[in-house]
Amino acid sequence: MGRMTELPTKGGFSFDLCTRNDMLLKNGLQMPPFRKTGTTIVGLVFQDGVVLGADTRATEGPIVADKNCEKIHFMAPNIYCCGAGTAADTEAVTDMVSSQLQLHRYATGRESRVVTALTLLKSHLFSYQGHVSAALVLGGFDVTGPHLHTVYPHGSTDTLPFATMGSGSLAAMSVFESKYREGLTREEGIELVAEAICAGIFNDLGSGSNVDVCVITEGKTEYLRNYQLPNPRTYISSKGYTFVKGQTEVLSTKITSIQPKVEAVEGGDAMEE
Amino acid sequence: MGDSQYSFSLTTFSPSGKLVQIEHALMAVGSGQTSLGIKATNGVVVATEKKLPSILVDETSVQKIQLMTPNIGVVYSGMGPDSRVLVRKSRKQAQQYFRLYKEIIPVTQLVRETATVMQEFTQSGGVRPFGVSLLIAGYDDNGPQLYQVDPSGSYFSWKASAMGKNVSNAKTFLEKRYTEDMELEDAIHTAILTLKEGFEGQISGKNIEIGIIGTDRQFRVLSSSEIDDYLAEVE
Repeated sequence: MGRMTELPTKGGFSFDLCTRNDMLLKNGLQMPPFRKTGTTIVGLVFQDGVVLGADTRATEGPIVADKNCEKIHFMAPNIYCCGAGTAADTEAVTDMVSSQLQLHRYATGRESRVVTALTLLKSHLFSYQGHVSAALVLGGFDVTGPHLHTVYPHGSTDTLPFATMGSGSLAAMSVFESKYREGLTREEGIELVAEAICAGIFNDLGSGSNVDVCVITEGKTEYLRNYQLPNPRTYISSKGYTFVKGQTEVLSTKITSIQPKVEAVEGGDAMEE
Repeated sequence: MGDSQYSFSLTTFSPSGKLVQIEHALMAVGSGQTSLGIKATNGVVVATEKKLPSILVDETSVQKIQLMTPNIGVVYSGMGPDSRVLVRKSRKQAQQYFRLYKEIIPVTQLVRETATVMQEFTQSGGVRPFGVSLLIAGYDDNGPQLYQVDPSGSYFSWKASAMGKNVSNAKTFLEKRYTEDMELEDAIHTAILTLKEGFEGQISGKNIEIGIIGTDRQFRVLSSSEIDDYLAEVE
């Protein structure tokens, strides 16, 4: 039997299954929905650095898949990235670029720069022509100062003093547009970010649960997980439910006794040792 | 040497069962600058001579001891450029391991992968073995560890080891001075004394390099002023 010849591995997205998918759709298959983060993510630049914010709800169509997920991803000790879109895509792309940045830090012996992360992300997303559904808000503080960027799934980027992405971006942007000004203090910046995320949480179906905040300044990063919990779960009874006997109505009863099929015989020969 | 007919081709065994190219690679290591490592109860120290070819070379631009991960460092004896290639590959493998298992790579795994790379270069066409031996020092959940990897790809765990020009004197010195309950600070002093044994010229923070890792699990290379402080203590 001959060995299967190995084709050289090609880079980039393999479109081989697209014809099959089209055929399946024509034959009436329901495509399973992607788990989207249906999100509100924001970032702003204040006088000493950047503040990033995100909600914590992950949705799968109309269902909340995760009530407290983490949308602010680590890229470098001085760079963090919020992700909206398909959860798997944002996780994978931020992990990959974070790994590349670490290798780059070893090779150069220097702290990573935000533009490096930005370029790695946009090149990757562009080469996948928008099929990697990751919309990101990238922020950090490097040797050239504080930076804030947005990255779109097709690979375009913006550099902004304040930015919002995700399904709740309009609600959050309305807060920023009315209240943002240059030279905010740290407390004002965090307040404004939390307010913008809350606007998304309360006014957008795809966003909800809690507020995560990340503050990046020169030489220091603070990841404030669950900074605000505006949607506490209230339980009727902390002891749980009790079911009284007789509460459930018995409709019919059928009792079947078990007939032994195998006779167990005592004694007999021992097994060979 | 009766083996000389078999000494040019890496992938051919000599009749005595040796791969002569690997023997030659070990000679390249043996003529390299001395380096050593000592495993203490609460950390590991590695040290090496940093003799530069001329006083005009900017010594701040040369760093022989490198990091592979935040908790694993490496020093070499032999050909510097070869060690650079290995360090680069190992860094990448450590990242890939983390991406796959979401666990920081254990020291033994990284040593094994580095050794595999070195072995591959002894069994492939058109390449030569690496002309370096590496001393890999790390601290993970199994405590402090020190491994030596040779050009053949074999690796050993050591309590204390030396490589390079002055290997026999250094090892004798280490055998006498090493104790099981040595702590990191003692190990650093012992390392400096061992280097001093075979050192030609005046030893200072500018012509030796020391890397340490303690219970904080952060490998770091000491600055030349820190080394000068230790040298003053030792004297």
